[in-house]
Amino acid sequence: MAELELKPVGTRILTDKDNIVDMIEKYTKGDIGPDDVVSVAESVVAITQGRVARPEDFKVCFLAKILCRFVPQKGSLSSVYGMQSLMDAEGKWRVLFAMIIGMFAKIVGKNGVFYELAGSHAALVDDVTGTMPPFDKCLVYGPLEANNVAEEIKRRLGCYGAAVADVNDLKRALVVGASTGLDPKKLAHILIDNPFGNASQRTPIVIIKNYAAVERRTENLLTVE
Amino acid sequence: MEILVTIVIVVIIMAIAVWLFIAKQGDADFEFKVNERTEFIVVDQTEKTATFSCKVAFINKGSQDGTIMDAYPRHLLPYEQFDGVEVTSRMELTTAPRTDNYFEAVIIPKGTGGSVIVTVTFTAKTGTIRDALQNLYDLSVDMPIDIVYQIVARTPWYIHKARMIMTCDEINRAMQAKDTAKWEG
Repeated sequence: MAELELKPVGTRILTDKDNIVDMIEKYTKGDIGPDDVVSVAESVVAITQGRVARPEDFKVCFLAKILCRFVPQKGSLSSVYGMQSLMDAEGKWRVLFAMIIGMFAKIVGKNGVFYELAGSHAALVDDVTGTMPPFDKCLVYGPLEANNVAEEIKRRLGCYGAAVADVNDLKRALVVGASTGLDPKKLAHILIDNPFGNASQRTPIVIIKNYAAVERRTENLLTVE
Repeated sequence: MEILVTIVIVVIIMAIAVWLFIAKQGDADFEFKVNERTEFIVVDQTEKTATFSCKVAFINKGSQDGTIMDAYPRHLLPYEQFDGVEVTSRMELTTAPRTDNYFEAVIIPKGTGGSVIVTVTFTAKTGTIRDALQNLYDLSVDMPIDIVYQIVARTPWYIHKARMIMTCDEINRAMQAKDTAKWEG
C-alpha cells in the first residue's frame, strides 16, 4: 500500500540565469510519478525570477526608517531595507495604513493584522542572511505568479500537482502558490517539519510521493464509512 | 482655530513619543576587540611561504540584534616600505570555518559576540621566506591590518574599520616558536 513519503532533492545553487521549471525537470528526472506532488521553496523561485536586491541598491525613505522600529527584531521587516523593500513592492502609504491599523488591532488583542493588510509580500520578504551564499547579502522578495509557476511544473512533469511553499524550522509553512485541485492548507500541514532543510543543505525541491494515491484511499474510506 | 492648534499639539506629542521610543530602543553596536586579539602563530610554512593566524573577538554591545553583512582583513604593506614579500589575507568566523575568503552574513543577537580567525600568508618574492621575514625584522617593518566590517541593523548599513598591527617582533617570535616546536617535535 502506497504511503506518503517526502523526498528532498538537491540542486546546485540556482540563480536568475536558471529557469525553475527546467531545473526541477533536470534534477528530478525519473523520480516523479503521476501520483506525486512537487513542491519548491518560494525563495528559490524568487531568486530564479531575479527578485533579489542588495541593501546598497535601496533608496531608503524616512518612513521606512521609522516604521521598521515597530517590528520585532526577529522579523525581516525590522531592518530599514526589509521595510523599504515592502514599501517598494506594496506602496508606502498602504504599509503605513497597515501599521497604524495593526497597532490598534494589537492593543485590542488581535495579532497579525499588519501582515494581512500590508500585502502579500509582507510575509514573504527575506532579509539579509535569509538565504544561502551568494544571496546571504541580499533581500529576497516573494515570487511572482506562484500559481502559474506551479501549473507549469505540473504540466511539464506530468505529476499530480505542484506547489510553491515558504517553510521554515519554526514550524511555519505557507503555500504561496499551487496548481488547481490541491488544498494549500493540507500541503502546508504535510510540509510543516521543513523537509527542505536549511539553506546550506541545498534541497529546494521536495517530492511528496504518492500524494494522490493516499488522497484517493482516504476518500474511499470516508465513502465506505 | 482651536481644532487646528489641537491637531498640531497632538502631532508634536506623537512625534516626540516616536522619537523617545526610537532613542530608548537604540541599535546594534559592534566592536572588534583588536587590542585583545591572540598572538599570531605560524600555522603553515614552506620554503617560499609562511602562514600566520590569530583570533579576534567581537561583540554586539548594543541594545538591538545586528547583522555583520561582510567582513574582511585589509593588510597594508606598500612596496615602498618593504618589497620582499607578497601578502594575502583572509578572515573567517571561528564557528563557521571556510577557506574561500567569503564571509557569510551572520546575525549577532544583542549582548553576544564571537570571534574571527585572521590568516595572513607571506610569499617571498626571491629566496626563502625565512630570509625575507628576517629582512622584514631587520628593517623593523610592522604591518597594519584593518578589519573592515559592514553592519546592517535598525539603521542603514555602514562600514567600520578596526586596526590591528602585526609587528615584526611578533612575526619573528612566531617563526622562532615554530622552529622550537619543530626541533622539540
